[in-house]
Amino acid sequence: MGEYSLLIILFAPFLGAIGLIFVPRKEELLTRMVAAVSAGICLIASFYIFFAYDTNLAGYQFVQRFPWSEQLGIAFYVGVDGIGGPLVFASAILLFAGVFVSWNIKDRTKEFYIFLLILAAATIGVFMSLDMFFLYFFYEMSVLPMYVLLGMWGSHTKGYLSMTDPEGLKLRDSVGFIFNFGSNSKEYAAMKLVLFLSAGAVIALMGILLIYHFSGLHTFDIVALKEQTGIQENSPLAILIWLLVFIGFASIAPIWPLHSWSPVGHAAAPAATSMLHAGVLMKLGHFSIIRVAYEILPETTREWIWIAAVLCVFSIIYGGLVSYFAKDTKYIIGYSSSSHMGYIFLGMAALDYISLTGAVIYMFAHALATSMLFAMAGWVYDQTHSRDIPSLGGLMQKMPFISGAFIVGCMASIGMPGTVNFIAEIMIIVGSWDKYPFQVVVAVLGIVLTLAYMFKMMRGLFYGELSPEHAHARDATTFVDRMPLILLIFCSVSLGLFPGHFYEVVRSTVEPMLDRINHVAPVVSQVTQSTQGLLP
Amino acid sequence: MTFNLALTGSDLLLLLPEIFLTIWLCVVLSVDFSMRKVSNETLAHLSIGGLLITTFILFWFDQADITGALFKNMYVLDHLAIYFKIMILIATAMVILISIDYVKSFRFFKGEYYFMVVMSAIGMMFMASANDLLSVFVTLEFSTFGFYVLVAYLRDDVRSSEAGLKFFILGVFAAGLLAYGISLVYGETGTLIFPEMASAQGSYGLAIGFILIFAALGFKIGAVPFHSWIPDTYQGAPTPVTAFLSIAPKAAAIAMLIRMFYVGLASFKPMWVLLFVCAAIISMTYGNVVAIAQKNIKRLLAYSGIAQIGTVMVGLAAGTKMGSDAMLFYLLTYLFANIGAFAVIIAVSSAIKSDEIEDYSGLNRRSPFLAAALFLFLLSLAGVPPLAGFIGKLYLFVAAIEEELYTLLIVGLINIVISMYYYLIVVKKMYISEPIDSSPVPVSAPIKAVIYFCVAGTLFLGIYPKAFIDWAAAATLMFSNIAKTTAAAPALTSLVGG
Repeated sequence: MGEYSLLIILFAPFLGAIGLIFVPRKEELLTRMVAAVSAGICLIASFYIFFAYDTNLAGYQFVQRFPWSEQLGIAFYVGVDGIGGPLVFASAILLFAGVFVSWNIKDRTKEFYIFLLILAAATIGVFMSLDMFFLYFFYEMSVLPMYVLLGMWGSHTKGYLSMTDPEGLKLRDSVGFIFNFGSNSKEYAAMKLVLFLSAGAVIALMGILLIYHFSGLHTFDIVALKEQTGIQENSPLAILIWLLVFIGFASIAPIWPLHSWSPVGHAAAPAATSMLHAGVLMKLGHFSIIRVAYEILPETTREWIWIAAVLCVFSIIYGGLVSYFAKDTKYIIGYSSSSHMGYIFLGMAALDYISLTGAVIYMFAHALATSMLFAMAGWVYDQTHSRDIPSLGGLMQKMPFISGAFIVGCMASIGMPGTVNFIAEIMIIVGSWDKYPFQVVVAVLGIVLTLAYMFKMMRGLFYGELSPEHAHARDATTFVDRMPLILLIFCSVSLGLFPGHFYEVVRSTVEPMLDRINHVAPVVSQVTQSTQGLLP
Repeated sequence: MTFNLALTGSDLLLLLPEIFLTIWLCVVLSVDFSMRKVSNETLAHLSIGGLLITTFILFWFDQADITGALFKNMYVLDHLAIYFKIMILIATAMVILISIDYVKSFRFFKGEYYFMVVMSAIGMMFMASANDLLSVFVTLEFSTFGFYVLVAYLRDDVRSSEAGLKFFILGVFAAGLLAYGISLVYGETGTLIFPEMASAQGSYGLAIGFILIFAALGFKIGAVPFHSWIPDTYQGAPTPVTAFLSIAPKAAAIAMLIRMFYVGLASFKPMWVLLFVCAAIISMTYGNVVAIAQKNIKRLLAYSGIAQIGTVMVGLAAGTKMGSDAMLFYLLTYLFANIGAFAVIIAVSSAIKSDEIEDYSGLNRRSPFLAAALFLFLLSLAGVPPLAGFIGKLYLFVAAIEEELYTLLIVGLINIVISMYYYLIVVKKMYISEPIDSSPVPVSAPIKAVIYFCVAGTLFLGIYPKAFIDWAAAATLMFSNIAKTTAAAPALTSLVGG
């Protein structure tokens, strides 16, 4: 049973989506139940792998391998290490919470849950793929449902460039949208997201195909390529591949200056989609960089990862400043995510085991914190039909539970001790200090900035005068409404207070990986190797 | 050269599929003429029955390894030919199914319609077996002849007549080019049969001859710059004929190209690799960029078809066994996605009497089934996993990178993103825009059957392509030892790959 748990995690949402096709359109409750049950199965199984991961054994566990095409050297090869495991767990938590957060969606419920389950399953698929083909397969598969989810159930952004388009709803002609920066419709956001991510994906695919060709193994198998890459490290070819993989996957992460699709997309998306999007979809970028670049080209990574360290400064500051001045709740949270992704890049770039462990924990922590905030921003929007902070205020009187949870979400996002974010942030900062002191100073300033805009948003939403048009706003009172928030807060706090196992899981994988990256081959052996190559 | 036409029983066996289908067709035609009361459906079902029996015969040939050559190598039946014949037959059967309702709108010649369709199919089956330039000419004209009539079938519709005329004039022009090219090649090599050409010496005459032949076949597959008839013909022709035209003749012409270049011109590989690299790049880019501006879904699919054929030519440009495998597999994925998409278009246009993309607004609310099906087909054409088109494209690109054709690979990958845009425009109309008229769109049973079959094919080929990839690989075993480009001409490769 245990060894099949990854297949259960992956196929429960897929089968749920297939099952939903056959559910009659009128049976909305049954639709939601099917989605909830498949997400629940997925959550239980991922809970199991998270805790059953053997930290002494380390490496890839729960491995399953089925040949898929000999001609192309592809196998359906899944397994998780200490990085994939927690992220699978995070995805399952967010899917389960997302199903309940969207409980009140009335329009085309069936399609919504089908696309949501496919999105989550594809994301989970990336985190467990040990074959580059399937990594790309699931990666690209996770992008397309976003288009439909944003377009069909999303909302137009009012705060975004509102000065150029005061209507806020004016839809532009779809042709030529690329030059139409003033547009703020959900269609625009959805199209921008898909094109950006697909462009990133094909850049990464180029790198993957180059690895496939030049490794000489004719396989997409990451484990085999890790053993024997066949590509001379730090040669121009290796650098080219590394850059393609890095840029391709960093566009989904998203690193500055490739981030512009992300806040727009977050703002337009329905709550559950923003949760999955900000929570786990963006981590596909970091994860894939680690899986492909760190594992297959460790020495090139060591020489070139400074790019991430440079760009993360812009991410942190730019995202933070935009959040501070923005007036749309989802837009603030979206840009704050984009800013917080900079911390992960900093943690990854330092190549120190404390900081990389911190980065991985941060991926998980950020998933919980941000999705909490998105869920509640979605709730506020559902109740007031506004995301514009100046028009809101005083909601504390009407929705005490949501306000309380929102404050916890903000605290988690800031990195308050007691939440898992705190542990992650402190590890990134401590671990990166030796190598990148300047970036660490920026990161600390970024935390201050986060504090500022989170408080500003909290004040704007929940304190002050209650606008009379929002007098009918309702708090989350039922079990279904409260459960996802409680689940997210519970996970964040319990792992924040007892991070022992989580830390061990990540460390068991990060340590050997960094040993490979930081291991400098003795000069002598390199010389002998090259002379051996020259002699017949 | 003398022909020995004393055919033995085993020779006739090789021709069995074509002979059987021809006889069956005559029977269907006489049923139509002799029985006044026979319905349109009966004729269609009879034709499909014949096509299916022929398909089974071909499957049996494939399994039992019944292959061989006839008429001094003019006609070959190998696994490659069987693969293409089966593909053409399946496409024809699906086209007849989606025609059943459409044919009712014709005022006359309802029975002949099926005759014309199956006749063209027989022509294309011969195309897949053509192994010398004379049979290339004869079979190509044979199959196109039926299409001239079919495209102009809506006699009272100006667009259809225009489409027919355009198709006819350019088709005849292409035939002229083909004949001229063949005469040049014959003059230079003294032979018409592909395998015998392999030892020919290179000369300008031979090069010009083959470029003319490529141009003529380029008309058939709709590669840029020979594509100009495609959009108008696709738009004007009856939609089932458009569906037929968009896949079957292309598949047959690709079979000819593979045979001609892999077998006949193997020794000039660096030259034609360059030709196909250019043709693929121009076709993909032109088709995808122009498709963005289309407002009519049939025109959109016409331009997307130009781009798709550019993608298929990536395999020809690779010029290896892997390239031909990938092309075979890709054509199969294209068959399901394209015929499925046209089936949806027929269902929609029979209800709303329009092919404008604007009128697809809110299709998801009017018919969730049709919208979901078209969504899948378009995404498969765009190459999104887990659909068939993705595996097909990846296979082609892997074949290209194994030959180190980087320029082609980069252009191909960029084109995936471009194509995503215009396919998503249609998805946006269907799913995001609200319907103007929210009456449900009915779907007739035969069209539904075709859509289900194509959805199944698109998903199955995407999720578990192994069986079909193996089949495609087995069909091209004879190309196992085709020369690597890198070994043949390093200078040219560096030019192409640079």
